[in-house]
Amino acid sequence: MSSSDNGTNPTLRLQGVGKWFGSLHVLDDIDIDVKTQEILTILGPSGCGKTTLLRIVNGLILCERGEISFKGEVVDGPRPEMAMVFQNFGLFPWKRLDQNIGYALRIQGREKGEIDRLVSHYTELVGLGGFEANYPSQLSGGMQQRAGLARALAAQPDVLLMDEPFGALDALTRETLQEELLRINEAEPKAMIFITHSIDEALLLGDRVLVMTPRPGRIRFQFETGFGRGRDLEEIRGSQRFQALRHYLWEAMRNPDEEPEPIPELVLE
Amino acid sequence: MATDAPAATGISTDERAFWERIKEPAVYVRLISLFVVIGGWELMGQTGNIDPVTFSYPSAICVAFWDLIASGQMVSAAYESSQILVAGLLIAIPLGIVLGILMGRFQIFEYAVDTYVFALYATPVVALAFPIAMVLGVDFVGKTTIVVFFAIMPIIVNVYHGVRNVDLSLLEVTRSFCSTEGQRWRDLIFPSVVPYLVAGLGLACGRALVGMVVAEFLMSISGLGALSQDYIADLELDKGLAPVVLLMVVGIALTKVVNICETKFSSWRVRQES
Repeated sequence: MSSSDNGTNPTLRLQGVGKWFGSLHVLDDIDIDVKTQEILTILGPSGCGKTTLLRIVNGLILCERGEISFKGEVVDGPRPEMAMVFQNFGLFPWKRLDQNIGYALRIQGREKGEIDRLVSHYTELVGLGGFEANYPSQLSGGMQQRAGLARALAAQPDVLLMDEPFGALDALTRETLQEELLRINEAEPKAMIFITHSIDEALLLGDRVLVMTPRPGRIRFQFETGFGRGRDLEEIRGSQRFQALRHYLWEAMRNPDEEPEPIPELVLE
Repeated sequence: MATDAPAATGISTDERAFWERIKEPAVYVRLISLFVVIGGWELMGQTGNIDPVTFSYPSAICVAFWDLIASGQMVSAAYESSQILVAGLLIAIPLGIVLGILMGRFQIFEYAVDTYVFALYATPVVALAFPIAMVLGVDFVGKTTIVVFFAIMPIIVNVYHGVRNVDLSLLEVTRSFCSTEGQRWRDLIFPSVVPYLVAGLGLACGRALVGMVVAEFLMSISGLGALSQDYIADLELDKGLAPVVLLMVVGIALTKVVNICETKFSSWRVRQES
């Protein structure tokens, strides 16, 4: 957590990652560096291999080509320094909320006192205080994903992997959770890879946005959003820069085969 | 809901709860159904439409039931029968769970044994009584084996399906958080299997009772099966049917016990409905 590198060195490095499912070429030559405490949003149409990429980063599946390294070590399986937030929440229906949130800590064999302390801290942080004794089915989708987020945060990872975490939620809940996520990340900054197919979400949350093309998934282009930390989402939404980037991404997504015009820096300023 | 003591009416809360319960369809429909069926049957008997040599009717069976209990025959027969029933279930339940889990979780084990398991599942176990008697004898061991064969199949098959139907996305969650195999069983596989297992146990109890009587009929004659058969052979149908009634009651009671276990183990599911 305490880094002396001012968030410039890559925590996570993907080099030439390629993936095939049988004869299907899913990912091709992916190079990504994620800096400490950087939020990288990956934007792409359905079926471009975003989720596969995230599962490879997590070590859940292996890639045929290339290499993932975390702080210089090759990733060849899941490791406790990375925690995933799943699109469909991935909560155990037979565990109470506090048990779900403390799941990773119990897996890691932490002491009971420490687990209780961390669980109650992160339960409060995601705004679920008072719901500890509930089962997931008694909660709304938004609350379930708050719990999914709390579970990942409680594991105190260096990298948070978010697989379209708000994709299954309604628009209003989604916006609320976007703001909450930024608030939580201000309080406890860490590197984050955030997969989404929403242009707005990619722009609002990301320090950097990376756009992928499908079949096979390749990096098309990437850029820094430049909105800075402590950002106010309403303010960003109203800004000219946001509107310009949003329009630019729309055009790029609509014409997947055409090379996009270079980002017009003048308009962006 | 209200807990105020209804002192004025003099009806206690317990009594009120009792009458509330009676009003539920599950209760009153069953009561009416029982009244019509048992009452109609009794009426047929009372009006002389049932020949006591070929069949009997409720009140006659009740009297016979009481006679058999008073003479001690019913109790000793039930004791004898319960030994092979309990022994059979005590073997079938753990063995069935272990086999089902191994089949569901380890592909190699599944390939090795699934042919026999599914072949046996479709086999009328009655047909196996003779070879079992030849190999294991016609006494306690042979009879218990029959009960095991009857009871174990639904347990194996249900547990197997429970393990196979483990939520794959939750399996991925356990892997993502670096769970060990042992932790994975505790957090995911056992809890997912419980509802399947409970359903299997319900079926197993019913089949074990059938297996018990089959064993007592076909092998060395004993217990409730013998008691029933002896009186039926003597054309005392009322006494011959009394042990059958006892078996029915035991069957219902075992199902009830399994249901209670189910509610206990899946409190998260029940809460969801409320």
